[in-house]
Amino acid sequence: MTDTLVELSSNPWFRQGIKQLGLPIPTPQKLARTRHPRVERPLDGQCICVMSETGAVDRALAETVIEAGANAVVVNKSRVSSHWLSTGEAYGRSVTHATLGDTSSEGTVQGLVFDATGIDRPETLRQLYDFFHHWLPRLGRCGRVVVIGRPPEDQSNPSKAAAQAGLDGFIRSVTREIGRKGSTAHVVYVAQKAEARLKPLLRFLMSKRSAFISGQPWRVSSRVKSRLSGKLTRPLENKTALITGAARGIGAATARLLAAEGARVICLDRPGDEDATSAIAAEVGGVPLMVDITDPNAPKLIQKAIDEDGGCIDIIVHNAGITRDKTLARMKPEWWDQAVDVNLGAVLRINEALFPSVLADNARIVCLSSVAGLAGNVGQTNYAASKAGLVGYVKSAAATLAKTGGTINAVAPGFIETRLTRAIPVMTREVGRRLSALGQGGEPHDVAELIAYLVTPGAAGTSGQVMRACGGMFLGA
Amino acid sequence: MPKSQKRRAVIVGGVRTPFVKAFKEFIELDSIDLADAAVKGLMDRYAVPRDAVDSIVWGGVILPSAAPNIAREIALDLGLPSRVEGMTVTRACASGLQAVTLAAAAIERGEYDCAIAGGSDSTSNGELKMPQKFVRTVGPVVMGGKATPADYLQLVAQLAPFTDLLPRMPKIAERTTGQVMGEAAEDMAKRNEISRVAQDEFTVASHHRAAAAISSGRFDDEVTPVQTRKGAVYTDSLVRGDTSVEKLAKLRPVFARSGTLTAGNSSPLTDGASAVLLMSEDKARALGYRPKAAFRSWAYRAVDPADQLLMGPALAMPAALDAAGLTLKDIGLVDMHEAFAAQVLSVLKMLGSDAFAKMRLGRSKAIGTVDFETLNVHGGSIALGHPFGATGARMVTTMANELEAGQHETALLGICAAGGLGAAAVLERVA
Repeated sequence: MTDTLVELSSNPWFRQGIKQLGLPIPTPQKLARTRHPRVERPLDGQCICVMSETGAVDRALAETVIEAGANAVVVNKSRVSSHWLSTGEAYGRSVTHATLGDTSSEGTVQGLVFDATGIDRPETLRQLYDFFHHWLPRLGRCGRVVVIGRPPEDQSNPSKAAAQAGLDGFIRSVTREIGRKGSTAHVVYVAQKAEARLKPLLRFLMSKRSAFISGQPWRVSSRVKSRLSGKLTRPLENKTALITGAARGIGAATARLLAAEGARVICLDRPGDEDATSAIAAEVGGVPLMVDITDPNAPKLIQKAIDEDGGCIDIIVHNAGITRDKTLARMKPEWWDQAVDVNLGAVLRINEALFPSVLADNARIVCLSSVAGLAGNVGQTNYAASKAGLVGYVKSAAATLAKTGGTINAVAPGFIETRLTRAIPVMTREVGRRLSALGQGGEPHDVAELIAYLVTPGAAGTSGQVMRACGGMFLGA
Repeated sequence: MPKSQKRRAVIVGGVRTPFVKAFKEFIELDSIDLADAAVKGLMDRYAVPRDAVDSIVWGGVILPSAAPNIAREIALDLGLPSRVEGMTVTRACASGLQAVTLAAAAIERGEYDCAIAGGSDSTSNGELKMPQKFVRTVGPVVMGGKATPADYLQLVAQLAPFTDLLPRMPKIAERTTGQVMGEAAEDMAKRNEISRVAQDEFTVASHHRAAAAISSGRFDDEVTPVQTRKGAVYTDSLVRGDTSVEKLAKLRPVFARSGTLTAGNSSPLTDGASAVLLMSEDKARALGYRPKAAFRSWAYRAVDPADQLLMGPALAMPAALDAAGLTLKDIGLVDMHEAFAAQVLSVLKMLGSDAFAKMRLGRSKAIGTVDFETLNVHGGSIALGHPFGATGARMVTTMANELEAGQHETALLGICAAGGLGAAAVLERVA
């Protein structure tokens, strides 16, 4: 479904006209997206400016930025660290050094990365101002901002905890300021000794794959045991994935992306949707599986299908979901039951059936939550209860899965252009779209990109989290 | 059962035509004519019994489309026994080395006892192609059965406007990136911080060493004269013994306005051919030859052509050293194809880089620094010229003769090629 305003806004005359007339109409930037499988150098030829004073995460930063094909400008008071110099030499991309006050380097940059791990007092938060005041205006369209900090909850020093938590608020505001230009911002809280796990996440966040994901606080830890895989392309080779609700929308988009990265996909949807399910399964070279997930026999049927397929599964994406909207007073009891059972009950039942038996080590599970569910909405008490329930579930289940190297996360989509949102009345839909920092709705593809990242082997640092693909939505922070 | 003894292929000798600037003396000779001249020169020089040859293995880049299997044409042109079969291979600028290593592999596997391998290219006879649109539109009508005059009229209408029917000048551009090779080398010079002066100094050395080799008669044994209608050509025509850094500094950059690559520090378009005689060691001894050298190893690798197109040798040379069980310290001579001075210097810089070794090769220490005194001792492609398919066989020949002279035991070869390919080989002296 096309967003007319986004299309119109790609026309410079329209933008100019709106500006001249002073009309209160937003002109959202059409987002740059990637439609092909992962490549070795997603940032080829880009210019990325990095503020690195402590050097604590330099190695991961240098290797990510330069390996990904970008040219780096490193800003600090002293000099460029050896990690930057040697990585630059190995890849033939020598690093430019600039000091903070240096205004000589001209032109736009595609990314800004700020190492804030050393910020430990409210006063030193000023470094954020000093750097971004100068560089943020130079960020090109669809640019990327990433601030790297230490988890506030890990800090014994209250002053440092405060300063680090401040990064979150800073980023959320930056998100709003740069959203109009299609740019996104994130804060990544990396635990001590988990620095190497930054690489796959940074590569994802800096690339066009994260087009509709913004304003997110990421947490990277070394809690989940995992050997780092150096595989930059086709990371899902030899993995089998089960996707529920795969016939259309986000499920279908996820099936396509996982298959493109090498996974074998079992496309599950409910009986009665055979045509669409077989079509997507055929398209991605996967297997269709017709099961009603609310059927008490469903876990058994799924297990049987996996046994027949090869006996083992590495990835589960719990995408199937329904809405049964009515205000609480008017809601029929079976509507409450249906929503809670499909969205939450079935997820738990299926996971419990698969956990010990057919789930491989280093498994990756993603449950689809919802921003509407997290924020609350009139007429969605049942839906919100089920979707918020998933948040508690992934936190708890993460500990169990960690023992075998597995992760489980929830993904909360914001306003996504799907069959579900197409049914919303036009005015409400327009408001919904513009409520994000990027001023537009996302595509199912955008959510699928986030899911695809979370199920890669490299995403071992992130578990028990709720990550939103919402374009920096104003709701449900 | 007795233990199988590994056969060894040995290099008996090599001969090449003079290397001549494209569109000059050799303009009337196409790639097959040049190949004929080189192979004939080789057979004469080494008095090869015509019955002994089992096969010809040839390499080329711009293959004549009417007869792309040059190898077979050579056998027929030279009137070799009709059983002498032939195959032609292409691996961009590594085609010549590819042909030679392929022949060595076949001999070691027992397929042949004796083969002639080499390569040739004539840029002067590159074919101008009709655009694909023309072929695809006209082909079905003319070749696809009975066509009526109305069909022909329709054809004309389809081809209009006729401007895109003009034949295009061929370019040495990458198919995937559209980048011309010189632009890629320009990019490498910038990224690896290779200065104009360093490139020009390298170029001067290449010319001076090649000129010294020619004037001292070092190449007399390797180069055979070629007859043309205007007379015989005896020697390489591109070498400038009188060049200097000052002279080269006057040249303007050709691939980028503020670039560092000039016509001087790049290899020129060249016509020429080069052939190598290979035999199993037993056969060579039985025929009374004294083998000069043998392959200890070879390796072909590739890098992403969209990154640093000509960095391939930095991967292939370490791989060949590993396969030979040697380190750079064990190597007496290094011979690298000089596509561009910037490319050679970039590769050398990476071979000497600990960071490159760690991050790109997964080893703890750099491959090592190549001593300039042992590198391209008689000049390279910048001075001598670079007929694409012939260069590999030229390098094998020169190094085999150098090893035979007795001062060095081993030589390491490195060649970069289009598509991001890198080729390398280790030669050793045969006592």
